[in-house]
Amino acid sequence: MTSERFTSTATTTCGYCGVGCRLEAHADHGRIVSIAPALDGPANEGHTCLKGRFAHQFTRSRDRLTSPLIREGKGLRVASWEEAYARIVSELTRIKSQHGPDAIAGLASSRATNEDCYAMARLMRAAIGTNNIDNCSRVCHSPTSFALRKSLGLSGATGSFTDIDHAEVAVLIGVNPTQGHPVVGARIKQAALRGTKLVTIDPRRIELADYGVLHLSPRPGTNAAVALGLCHVVQRDGLTDEQFIAQRTSGYEAVVELLEAYSPHAVQEITGIPAADIERAAHIYGEAASASILWGLGVTEHKYGSEVVQLLCNLALMTGKLGKPGSAMLPLRGQNNVQGSSDMGALPDTYTAYRSVADEAVAAQFEQAWGVPLSRQKGYTIPQMFDAAVAGKLKAMYIFGEDVAQSDPDTAHVVEALESLEFLVCQEIFENETTRYADVILPASAFLEKSGTFTNAERRFQRVEPAIDPPGGARTDFEIITTVSRMLGHEMGWQTPWDALDEIARLTPQYAGLSYERLGRHGLQWPVAADGTDSPTLYETRFETADGLGHFAALPYKAPGDAPDNEFQLVMVTGRVLQHYNAGTMTRRTHNLDLVDRDWLEIHPDDAARLWISDGDRVSVRSRVGQTQLYARVTPRIEPGHVFTSFHFPETRTNLLIGQSADVNTACPEYKVVAVDVRPMSEQPAFTPQLVSA
Amino acid sequence: MSRNLVELIRRHDGIAAPTALDLLKESVAARGELTEEDLQRTAAVTGLPEATVYGISTFYDDLRAPRGERHVRVCTGTACFAATGGSHVQALSEGLGLDLGSVRDDGSVSLAETVCLGFCHSSPAVFDGEVIVAGPGAVAQVLSDSPTPAPQPQWHSLLPEPVLTRPGDWSGLRRALSELDPQQLLELVVSAEIRGRGGAGFPAGVKWRFVRAAAGDEKYVVANGDEGDPGSYIDKYLMEQNPELVLEGMALAGLAVGAAHGFILVRSEYPESKPSLDAAIERARQAGFLGERILGSDFSFEITVVEGAGSYVVGEETALLACLEGLRGTVSARPPFPAERGLYGRPTVVNNVETLANVPFIAARGAEAYQALSPNSASSGSKLVCFNERFNQPTVVEVPFGMSVRELCENVAGGLRDGGRIKAVQIGGPLGGILPAARLDTAFDFDALAAEGCMVGHGSILAFDELTDMRALAVHLLRFGAHESCGKCFPCRIGLRRAHDMFAADAPVDRARFEQLLETLELGSLCAHGSGMPAPLRSLLRHFPQELSLA
Amino acid sequence: MSDTVRIDGVQLEVAPGTTILEAAKLAGRWVPTLCFDERQAPFGACRVCMVGVEGSANPLPACTTVCRDGMNVSTEDPTARRVAGAVVELVLSELPAAPAPHTELAQVAQRLQVGAELRWPGAVHAVDHDLEHPYLAFQHELCISCGRCVRACDEVQGAFALTAVGRGFDANVAAGLDGGFLHSSCVSCGACADTCPTDAITEQLLLVGGNGNSAVAAGV
Repeated sequence: MTSERFTSTATTTCGYCGVGCRLEAHADHGRIVSIAPALDGPANEGHTCLKGRFAHQFTRSRDRLTSPLIREGKGLRVASWEEAYARIVSELTRIKSQHGPDAIAGLASSRATNEDCYAMARLMRAAIGTNNIDNCSRVCHSPTSFALRKSLGLSGATGSFTDIDHAEVAVLIGVNPTQGHPVVGARIKQAALRGTKLVTIDPRRIELADYGVLHLSPRPGTNAAVALGLCHVVQRDGLTDEQFIAQRTSGYEAVVELLEAYSPHAVQEITGIPAADIERAAHIYGEAASASILWGLGVTEHKYGSEVVQLLCNLALMTGKLGKPGSAMLPLRGQNNVQGSSDMGALPDTYTAYRSVADEAVAAQFEQAWGVPLSRQKGYTIPQMFDAAVAGKLKAMYIFGEDVAQSDPDTAHVVEALESLEFLVCQEIFENETTRYADVILPASAFLEKSGTFTNAERRFQRVEPAIDPPGGARTDFEIITTVSRMLGHEMGWQTPWDALDEIARLTPQYAGLSYERLGRHGLQWPVAADGTDSPTLYETRFETADGLGHFAALPYKAPGDAPDNEFQLVMVTGRVLQHYNAGTMTRRTHNLDLVDRDWLEIHPDDAARLWISDGDRVSVRSRVGQTQLYARVTPRIEPGHVFTSFHFPETRTNLLIGQSADVNTACPEYKVVAVDVRPMSEQPAFTPQLVSA
Repeated sequence: MSRNLVELIRRHDGIAAPTALDLLKESVAARGELTEEDLQRTAAVTGLPEATVYGISTFYDDLRAPRGERHVRVCTGTACFAATGGSHVQALSEGLGLDLGSVRDDGSVSLAETVCLGFCHSSPAVFDGEVIVAGPGAVAQVLSDSPTPAPQPQWHSLLPEPVLTRPGDWSGLRRALSELDPQQLLELVVSAEIRGRGGAGFPAGVKWRFVRAAAGDEKYVVANGDEGDPGSYIDKYLMEQNPELVLEGMALAGLAVGAAHGFILVRSEYPESKPSLDAAIERARQAGFLGERILGSDFSFEITVVEGAGSYVVGEETALLACLEGLRGTVSARPPFPAERGLYGRPTVVNNVETLANVPFIAARGAEAYQALSPNSASSGSKLVCFNERFNQPTVVEVPFGMSVRELCENVAGGLRDGGRIKAVQIGGPLGGILPAARLDTAFDFDALAAEGCMVGHGSILAFDELTDMRALAVHLLRFGAHESCGKCFPCRIGLRRAHDMFAADAPVDRARFEQLLETLELGSLCAHGSGMPAPLRSLLRHFPQELSLA
Repeated sequence: MSDTVRIDGVQLEVAPGTTILEAAKLAGRWVPTLCFDERQAPFGACRVCMVGVEGSANPLPACTTVCRDGMNVSTEDPTARRVAGAVVELVLSELPAAPAPHTELAQVAQRLQVGAELRWPGAVHAVDHDLEHPYLAFQHELCISCGRCVRACDEVQGAFALTAVGRGFDANVAAGLDGGFLHSSCVSCGACADTCPTDAITEQLLLVGGNGNSAVAAGV
């Protein structure tokens, strides 16, 4: 397909999942007419999925926000930008003077560019004066980030997607790439057909299990026991790399002691996985010359999600399967910029590259660059923000690109928090559940309408270029944030996002070599040295911990936060389907809706028969905190005792079912283990999702 | 051939299970047609994608032609054409009241065409239900519903000591296992300079060497029994009358290259071949010539017979392998060659049935004895030839290389019947050139025939008498060519259809344009089907231009 | 270890196993192709990538011929170009209408300067459309059986939703059990539309938008 057919073509980076496909976006008369994969895209190699390629019509959906809205009485009315900015500045200034800067919090977005997130963090830190800045990776991969830093040093994949091609073995745990990360899913499938041995570990028999050598179905919430069982067998049967352990790690002895308790039979008791399968999986991994581990939210969104990631690091450390081709640890990031939004310091405790806000030297450097004093106190995490709002300590929020009332757990609590705020700014492309509570709504831009960079799941900074302009009066996020900052009295001094990128590079040794020119068409994988050399593989010779060693973590298995009982007999896990993306804000405004038009509840034929549920029946799903209704899909892909649903349709309000249980280290919600009661709806009355307590 | 599909097959049930093609054939045999459920079940059982199964179901004649309770297949091969000019097809069609490829509304009778039934010694031939009838009364027998099985052809040898027409006695394998090591056996076959008998004439020993040298423990021997050349019934003779010789040749190939499993692909048009081979395999197993630890040695070898489903191009080696895997029998570009990546992706020897039948003699008697079989020719060994129904003695004959075509036609086959005179002969199948009567003194060997634009091919000698309409022959050949094109490469897929339509139209053929098309086919085609079909057309243009109505 | 080859007089070193087509690309020389896509294994079906090779009596397909040390290749060998042009002419002759100018087929034809007059006109493919899918449109009459969509679905996406069907002139491509994209294992990735050299498979949006075949657009 040649570009002469179109008035313009932009080479950009996909704004859906964390794979980071490079796209050629063709536009004609201000509309996207076709998107094709860039042949030289390093992550996608000329391929993309139906979301990247086709799901772009939302950009010109009739209900796009195209002018600012401000609250007047009970309703919202159209306002000019000047009015909207004035309202924001006066309210934030008032609240700051009455309650102090820490009464204000901001959320950056894992959907936005690095430059947007960096600007948002700077807005909160420099213009407001608080570290109350977080982003939505809190609710997905914060456990990954935490654990990788603890065990290995850096918060990112240790290798690249190409390691999948070179791996003799790939272990997939808690991840369903053919649905959630389709282009990597396709890559894994091809590798498996060429001979890479796949071991899949998931409560559901995911599609890739059909191409693998072994599938393990643990009970939801027992991943830690699986990891410990694998380590037990590896250690017991001498599949360890003793030289690697001796030279490059610390803390192994404590792990050996801990592992004694996790014999395959003990693990079978906990997980339900046959002991022989644990043995086999351990041998497949341990005996391979090269093996990679891939995981997703099925690992992280648990009470002990971060600990499981540490245990997986143990497995890689004890077998020396790190820092070499084919042996990588690859977390598959859910959103396009989960990696970058946190890298950029849109977190309550860190500046760019995870440097602590309490680190005097770092803080001083930023103070000098920004010309303002900066707080050394950690700010609120997202759940803490909601708690603080309910408690009356947090008065204002500036939420940018996240529908917290839809996506975050314990919806009732979130709603109460939003209602408790004195002032809420939402910067969005569509109205959503959260904007209902907003005092000012700012019409912003989608990924096809802006410049900057995204960082994909293999730590690759890639350019984002606009294919079209924001519609109507909508503006780019970068322009909005820098303008608000200026009006609050803090001039950031940038003309374009590329100026922000230069500042990020200047103030962050790990990103020192980044520049618009050097990124070129193929991007750069951080760390990027000052001369522009990037890092496809980490830890070839040392880990990036203080002592340069990989750190084993002796962490026992602990039961998940929820468990089935007589009243709630089934365990529900949640996940994505290929055709939709997260809250569905974008994909439901495209023809993807013609392909999949609802969330389904997958249930095993045995459970379905026991509960008198037939395929296609409408069923009620009730948890300890909420209730909703779904249509049942009876399938043997899920084990008896478990059910699965996606969360793409707001009318389902799946998150009404999720309680407050969260990862012990990072507060990432435990989306993946919820005890539920499922029963058929004998009748189908008009339905409104509701809270049990209401 | 899709590597991924082959891998899916390997992973699902490996090579032991029935293939998708097997299952589809069973369904057609059971119900006369393929339903959507048949396709879905086949996909589920084989682990192949539904689309792939659908693609297979649209490739093979046996799966595409609708079937009634009584399925009548009329041979439209070249020998039958030479015998009747095609009138038998018309007579049968009119008699049954059915067009080719149709079935009666009540499902009682169906009529299809087939190329060819290998009864070229007794044309025309009709496959009526389970019975093949042949000869001048064939159509009448079918129409009166009193089919009588046609007699099989005779055979004899001109050699003082027959090689290919002596019953196989496993003496070659005995000697190989007791006196030779596999490497020595291989070198023996190399030095015997045996060239492939399937048409391409590639030295068999060289092929074997590649396979022996290829990496991996899992290797295969494949005997190509897909003798699709209209006019030829040589492999049919070997497989049905002398199967031990073929099996012994396969076992020797396995021993030489390090393979433990052999496959023979036979045609569904030869209903007797598979039973005959299966029976011979069972006898050989009982006698210890096949199976585990043959004759007490470390060598084990199994043979599986697989039946095709109606496709000429499946005789091409890469298409043959695809068919054995149960996939669409389309040609694949080489490299990779089968010796490197063949059946189920593993190194594979693919030899014609007759080529393999030569090997026992070489193993038993040595390379020199083999080369001495044809003292008057540079080509070594002997050759089976067969003659069509127009001849007085239409039989299979083992001959040395180097006799003239005239000697073969006049002395060996006794000239044409009923005092007919040879107008031309086509040697070696539909891709072979046509030798006019004036050039019958050409020697019958690889090089001399090549110089005449002809080839030994598979050794069929098919005479056209003076009544033959050469333009009709051109249409006949091109119709076959276009129908059998596998559809993969563009020149053959489109070019043969265009070539056919030019001659089939009721108008003079623009010679210059036609020759440009032939060049495109010759130089552009992926396999010998497209590049070889021009040869007989070139012969006709050269020797019979006045009969073709050219412009 | 590397082999030295000359492509149109340009000498270059290539890794063992490099095809002539890859070497020509390295040398900056154009070789026409229709069934080739760098994302897929060479297929060798279209026979348009013919080149002259010193010592070979006949032209060879560049996509499946591996370079040998010392090989001397001419991409503009007259015989090779004659065959390539004739094949493209044959392909054009099987379509009921000329391919849209932006398509790869139209561009190859233009560059080889063929198609103004067809030496071998004749039967064309019957019009048959699958427009049920929200994004993908299949206009079977434009299919030239190059196999790129089938291989994209197999070697790139791994959805195995497409197959070659039929044989000879009637060869075409089908989704699933010929029920169309929506009733197949298609995952709507669009890799087939992306690689199609004739727009036989293309995007619905491009048809409706008027950039594609107007007859189809009118039918949507």
